[in-house]
Amino acid sequence: MVAPARTPLRPDRLRALNLPSAVEVGLDTWGRPMWVRESADEEGAEGERGRDADERGVEEVLEEWRIDDEWWRTPIHRRYVEVVLEGGAHVVLFEDVMTGEWYMQQP
Amino acid sequence: MQGLTSEHAACLWIPLFPLRCEEERRPDLVGRPTALLAPEDSRRIWQASPLARRQGVQPGLTVSQAIGLCPTLALLEPDPVFYDEQFARLLLRLEQVSPVIEPAELGRAYVGVDGLEGLYGSPLRQLEIIERAAEADERGARLGWARGKFAAWVAATRAKPGEPVIVTDEARATFLQAQPLAVLPLDADDHRRLQQLGLKSLGDFTALPEAAVTAQFGRSGRAAWRLAAGRVDEPVRGQIRPQPIVATLDFPSPVADGGMLAHTIGVLIEHALRDPRRTGWRVQAARVRAALEQGASWMIEVLLKDPAALRERILPPLVTRLEQTPPTGAVERLTVEFTAFARGTDELQLFARDAVAAARAGRHRALRAAAREIHQRLKRHMLYRVIEVQPWSRLPERRYALIAFEP
Repeated sequence: MVAPARTPLRPDRLRALNLPSAVEVGLDTWGRPMWVRESADEEGAEGERGRDADERGVEEVLEEWRIDDEWWRTPIHRRYVEVVLEGGAHVVLFEDVMTGEWYMQQP
Repeated sequence: MQGLTSEHAACLWIPLFPLRCEEERRPDLVGRPTALLAPEDSRRIWQASPLARRQGVQPGLTVSQAIGLCPTLALLEPDPVFYDEQFARLLLRLEQVSPVIEPAELGRAYVGVDGLEGLYGSPLRQLEIIERAAEADERGARLGWARGKFAAWVAATRAKPGEPVIVTDEARATFLQAQPLAVLPLDADDHRRLQQLGLKSLGDFTALPEAAVTAQFGRSGRAAWRLAAGRVDEPVRGQIRPQPIVATLDFPSPVADGGMLAHTIGVLIEHALRDPRRTGWRVQAARVRAALEQGASWMIEVLLKDPAALRERILPPLVTRLEQTPPTGAVERLTVEFTAFARGTDELQLFARDAVAAARAGRHRALRAAAREIHQRLKRHMLYRVIEVQPWSRLPERRYALIAFEP
């Protein structure tokens, strides 16, 4: 990182870094991620969603943990899973326990 | 002029160029043992003055070792941005002598001299002109003249300040054969191996079969052999520079007001700066021409102390000249012309090789200059820095943020 320029920080000029992006995640019978799809796809026959070119398999699950925080504000309940995807990408997936939606971001 | 070449070359070499630059801006250093810290490792010595070397200080030593050898050693933080700027100005002055200029490294440049005998005369006279144009006489410059860059460089290494070495075409082969192996462009390992073979001169080296040298030393060995044998002449290749960039305005009615002329010059400068041909170049010299009423004309020129790509830095010297020598009549047409350029901030010490090599002292200057130019060209911030917000947070998106880099 560049050394600070000693100019005062302006919170209105901050841009978020590493924002989570919504993804679809396929789970196995134990609830562990098997594949991750980053873009919206079309449903196949009889409503089934098969793997397509935007989908990547999960090669290894490194770590799992849970965060329950900020009950005094907007409660945060997330189940994190750190994985290695097909192709070697090292990412963090988390499930928003309240909504059931999955997100992906960098570790 | 674009893409010109020259078979014959003059090599201008200023040893320890960064140290010389420091001595010029700090005359109190002259006569003292001095050393520059390495840009990429401030614990090591990069360059040492002759006085420091006599006391054992060598490049690569740690600071503590150097101080132990020379307690009065003056250590200097390097300023690569400043050295690049000084070298760029040197190259610009050399372009007054010849349009074919090829920089090699900081402090070393080749001047294409084909065709200069008609202008300046003998090779010795050409070198005198070059030395004077480069203002290099007080910097300990060495000058060499020969066919091909390699021979010219070797000649420069044999020269002394004020005593150039000129190698005629007829004497070139004999001259090269007698030179030591150290002049060959090979890495340290190859040089060591050549010494272990008992070779001392280029003559010994070229006595070996080319195929054998290639087999042992590969492509670089073959290239060195061909240079030493005079089989290859590396011509000087001039830098490709953009043609002058011109912006013109015709006034509906002639204008004599100095303020209006200054404002118009500023507008024309902005227009010319946006020319796509200027991409990657900063303006070194600018000219303002005017067509006056009744057919007269007027012109002013400035050579910028520091090349610039900002209106705020190009306009003031032109306005000063305008005030000193105003047009003698009302102006019907005003033209701003950028006539000389230097490499732009995209090559300045910011990314690629320079990010690694940039010293702490020079890095902020380079970033500030780049940020200003980007903002001026694109009208918004494009450079950001990462700041810690809540690095302890368990939520990754809260740990760091981007903020616009403001110099």
